[in-house]
Amino acid sequence: MAGLSITNINKRFGETEVLKGVSLDIADGEFVSLVGPSGCGKSTLLRIIAGLEEQTSGDVQIGGTSVAGQRAADRNLSMVFQSYALYPHLSVGENIAVPLKMRRMNTLQRLPLLGGVIPGKAQRAAEIAKEVAHAAEILEIAHLLDRKPGQLSGGQRQRVALGRALVRDPAAFLLDEPLSNLDAKLRVQTRAEIAQLHRQLKATFVYVTHDQVEAMTMSDRIAVMMGGRILQCAAPETVYDDPDRIEVAEFIGSPKINLLPVELSETGQVHLLGQPLSLTTGRRTKGVGSLGLRPEALFLTDRNAPLRGQIVHAENLGSEMFVQVEVNGLGSRITFRTTPDKRASLAQGATVGLDFDADKALVFDAIGARVRDIHSTTTSKTEVA
Amino acid sequence: MTHDWWKHLLLILGVIVVIAPFYMMVSYSFKSPGEIDRGEGGFFGRQEMMVDERCVVRRDPSRAEITAAAPRFPGQNDRGIRDALVAEAETDCSMRPVVFNYTMAFTEAPLLRYLMNGIIVTASIFLIQVVVALPAAYALAKLKFWGRDAVFALVLFCLLIPVHAIALPLYILLAKLGLTNTYAALVVPWTISVFGIFLMRQFFMTVPDDLIDAARMDGMSEFAIVWRVMLPTAIPALLAFAIFSIVAHWNDYFWPRIVVTGNRDLFTPPLGLREFKGGGDGSFFGPMMATATVIVTPLIVAFMLAQRRFIEGITLSGMK
Repeated sequence: MAGLSITNINKRFGETEVLKGVSLDIADGEFVSLVGPSGCGKSTLLRIIAGLEEQTSGDVQIGGTSVAGQRAADRNLSMVFQSYALYPHLSVGENIAVPLKMRRMNTLQRLPLLGGVIPGKAQRAAEIAKEVAHAAEILEIAHLLDRKPGQLSGGQRQRVALGRALVRDPAAFLLDEPLSNLDAKLRVQTRAEIAQLHRQLKATFVYVTHDQVEAMTMSDRIAVMMGGRILQCAAPETVYDDPDRIEVAEFIGSPKINLLPVELSETGQVHLLGQPLSLTTGRRTKGVGSLGLRPEALFLTDRNAPLRGQIVHAENLGSEMFVQVEVNGLGSRITFRTTPDKRASLAQGATVGLDFDADKALVFDAIGARVRDIHSTTTSKTEVA
Repeated sequence: MTHDWWKHLLLILGVIVVIAPFYMMVSYSFKSPGEIDRGEGGFFGRQEMMVDERCVVRRDPSRAEITAAAPRFPGQNDRGIRDALVAEAETDCSMRPVVFNYTMAFTEAPLLRYLMNGIIVTASIFLIQVVVALPAAYALAKLKFWGRDAVFALVLFCLLIPVHAIALPLYILLAKLGLTNTYAALVVPWTISVFGIFLMRQFFMTVPDDLIDAARMDGMSEFAIVWRVMLPTAIPALLAFAIFSIVAHWNDYFWPRIVVTGNRDLFTPPLGLREFKGGGDGSFFGPMMATATVIVTPLIVAFMLAQRRFIEGITLSGMK
């Protein structure tokens, strides 16, 4: 087990700059997710950590020592691939044993027939078999050890791939979208199991995904990547509640955050659709910006509603309900969350008034940076609520 | 499906064209020379007892033999003893045509030796071809290096060069190195198969990169990847290549005929057929066809054994 430290990594493929000065420190035993849309460079970063790709500049340290120029095989990292990448000609047991065999047996002992007569082989083989059995037990695949990967279901292959990674106690685990080939139900289950595995092994995990739900549910910290940069790296709650940039706010959260165009005046007053809101910012410069409101920050109200519109679509998920409203004067839809018991009053086409929690409102400036120190200039609304 | 009858007819015609020479070969190997000349006797011939004239001629009794045999035929003169001995020889030399043909095939020429030579040469060629082609194909398919595309273009270019065009320079090269009339002369020119490199490269292109990366993470060197990961996944492609390579070199008449001059110990099976070509004492189609049948049998058996593996194959289904 060891921590990882990535310093100022740049990567170019020809003319294309894929990573632009990425730095990230991952503590020993931490679970960090690299999350972002496809093409943001998250997989490339993982492959650079693994040693499968070489960085154009920058340094990777594992457990405090630089691994520059070291082959993937020598870095003592394990990786789980999206396609599982099991050896199709080997049984499950042999697949899991490969990393141990390659490291503990010498070339002669690995020879198919001759290897049997080389001294020390039998003892090593017995050790390896024991460890394979242990790994199989952790992942509950002991009954599959004799099968070939072709005879396994997607979820079982996934476990074998995990088994091959954890059998040899690496410095860190690298997981490259390991759940994306599984069906939705299995994905939720395996998500919990990987989180459980992390707690059990207390190992360093670096997990690449494009699915923000996976990142939110498993990680100690999330690094949101876009355009070859890490925009924000923080705990899931922080990234969700307190995003540094508008892109982060947009990417994290489902349904997506509602973004409303606002004007900021010299006094710091925030105007929406020409009307002043009960919000002021510490920034005293005139300009345009965006007001970000999560679906759960919005609530129905009758009087003095800053937002009015018609319901165009409602999704009842059973435990909660997401309603899309076409806002008057805005020309775009916003989504708010409510409870299903209100659905009687939420018929299609009904006009509703919406207000929001000032504490949960996020204001971004014209270039998408977060404007902090927002003050709620409470007026009559609190009395209404 | 009734309107498909013409397709089947066409296929059947094709099959007949392909099968006919094999039919003739096997049929001739069963028949007596007379039946072959007259074109009678159906597929198996009548299998009447026939007398091997050459065997009788070989046993034509000498003066000493007649004298030695005198006690066995008391009261006969030399002429009588001679006739009796010839009659004895004719009985001993008479046999069924099929026995005659196949006995001739194995006794007239050291056919077993030729078959052994064939196995040594084709097996060496195929093994060395694999040893060369697999790493080359892996490098061309999966590694990034300067000039890779140029190298691959060269491989494609070499596919266009006919063997016969470079036969003479190759012969001169081998002759100057003093390698003619050796196994090396039969094997070395074929060890680098551009076709094999091309075929395996095309197959390796379909192997997912993740599998190779996984092998690297598991601690394999590039050579280990070639032999422990790529080779086992490439078995079906390798079998296809094996058929091309082994058939071509087992049946090759042209090259052995050029580099093996005189030394019969190095003859490959097709050269053995020459033993029966029509000389001064007439042709020996029966034994010649028996030899041909013996030569092709190992190929057909090998193909049938490999066929099942072909179909089963190790698919890459474990990957996705």
